Amino acid sequence: VPGVGHKYYLQFTTEDYRSRDSAGSCLATVLFEQGNSPPAVTISCVDTKDEKQIQEEDNKFYQKIKQQTKPIMANDIPDSYGNIEPALEPVWALAVVGSSKIMWEKSTENLSYSMAQVKSAKQWIRQDDFVEFDYTVLLHEIPTQEMISCHLRVIWLPGHPMKVKHFCASENQWFEETSGMESGSAAGILQEKEQNF
Amino acid sequence: DQVLHIVPKTLQQVQHLRHLCNTLPLDLWKPLLPEDISTGEDLHMRVPGPLVQEVKDSLDEHLISYNILEQDVGALLDQSVRRTGGSPRRGPAGYNYTQYHPMDEIYQWMTQVKESNSELVTLHDLGKTSENRTIYYLQISQPSNKNKKIIWMDCGIHAREWISPAFCQWFVKEILQNYKSDPKISRFLQNLDLYILPVLNVDGYIYSWEKERLWRKNRSPHMNGTCYGTDLNRNFNSSWGSIGVSYNCSSNIFCGSGPESEPETRAVAHFIERKKEDIVCYLTIHSYGQYILTPYGSTTKPPSNNEELIQVAEKAAAALMGKYGTSYQVGSTSSILYSNSGSSRDWAHMIGIPFSYTFELRDNGTHGFLLPEDQIEPTCEETM
Repeated sequence: VPGVGHKYYLQFTTEDYRSRDSAGSCLATVLFEQGNSPPAVTISCVDTKDEKQIQEEDNKFYQKIKQQTKPIMANDIPDSYGNIEPALEPVWALAVVGSSKIMWEKSTENLSYSMAQVKSAKQWIRQDDFVEFDYTVLLHEIPTQEMISCHLRVIWLPGHPMKVKHFCASENQWFEETSGMESGSAAGILQEKEQNF
Repeated sequence: DQVLHIVPKTLQQVQHLRHLCNTLPLDLWKPLLPEDISTGEDLHMRVPGPLVQEVKDSLDEHLISYNILEQDVGALLDQSVRRTGGSPRRGPAGYNYTQYHPMDEIYQWMTQVKESNSELVTLHDLGKTSENRTIYYLQISQPSNKNKKIIWMDCGIHAREWISPAFCQWFVKEILQNYKSDPKISRFLQNLDLYILPVLNVDGYIYSWEKERLWRKNRSPHMNGTCYGTDLNRNFNSSWGSIGVSYNCSSNIFCGSGPESEPETRAVAHFIERKKEDIVCYLTIHSYGQYILTPYGSTTKPPSNNEELIQVAEKAAAALMGKYGTSYQVGSTSSILYSNSGSSRDWAHMIGIPFSYTFELRDNGTHGFLLPEDQIEPTCEETM
């Protein structure tokens, strides 16, 4: 678009991250204006996934976590051989969702990301209904091929938008925070993102 | 069986040891080839039980001192427990192709493959790495008086892409297991020689096993040892240093101090340059992304034989998809991926090798570089 920037028209299909089953298709436009502001996006999707089944799985996982008296802690998911312990798969999946928020913020017309690995995961036990995890994740940045280390805090309750705070190694401050890291409290979370997990 | 450790002190000792290796069925563990035996360097060899006394007597006669590393290899083998996992797809001496293997196991495997298929396979020294390790390639060549054309395939130019060396090993196994029974493969070998380099970036690969799983570059030191590694796939002499690189050693796409500054790059480039008249296809295997990439990365100007290159690649992608439904995208690096210069694939095409491709194997980013071992078999099967 002369004088404004680049506009992209996209038609794409989506699939489940793990199973590769089809999850729907979308139409979108993305407008990158000259300068580095996040792009303007319009999007509409047709979902083909089974809502009920997803809700059931979410609730099962949620119950298991809530029953924990000792906080879940883990490192290197997947491990060097690509293995993810079945019990830790949902912990990994929560990190994937949280990371997608970081990637959404950091991506530009020339830089894209994937989540390469969860270096560490630590659960914070909460008194209220929410589930909370602290992660260190590695994001693979293209085309620089760098691994960017990010600190990620995720607060979740099935049926609610996930709350995400993040801080990546090259940045100078926590994004969307009011008063720095607090342990186990929900205060200071500003930005939300709707996620069907 | 016993394993002996010897450090030859003189040239005569080296010559005698080489003679022993060439005349008796001794299992040389280190170095891999008798011609690499040298003074001052560790030698480890496994001596079959019945020959132990004869070998020791011979060493004593030549005043070669040794110590025994392993008294009883048989007993060790009985107790050894391998890592579990992976379906039993075995090759020479029970090698598991559905697991990732560290470099020393791959070195062993190369010798075993050569030994069990000596009518077809020869092992060659391409050169040394930055940390002075040997880079070996396997030549699969059916004896004939025809002057055959060559297909070259290298794997493991980037350390963290473990599925790549796994594929090279799988490929070799498939060819050697089936060349007599599969008419397609036997026709292939009547007219073509296969040169397979299972791990190009040996130092980097070892580093990704021992220190940092997501390491990419080689291990050459820069800035007085304060920074390590050049991206070997930005180091070739194809529009070197022009686009998609960094001149800073701390970057993962550091192109090096000059084109072919790295010993690994030179080892490959000098060899291919010498043989280029006979090489019809250059393949380099990476992960991840599921692409079959054609030249060029450094420019969007299409190569002279672009139509043919794309046509062949699309047939390959279609065949691949036919196996498990995995979809691979086909196109030039600069148009479907990103711009980069100094890649081995670009260089191979620029010096005249008509069919040059980069394969980016599974997956699409879910596991990325950390592809689980249970995906080794399907990835390799579909890519074959």
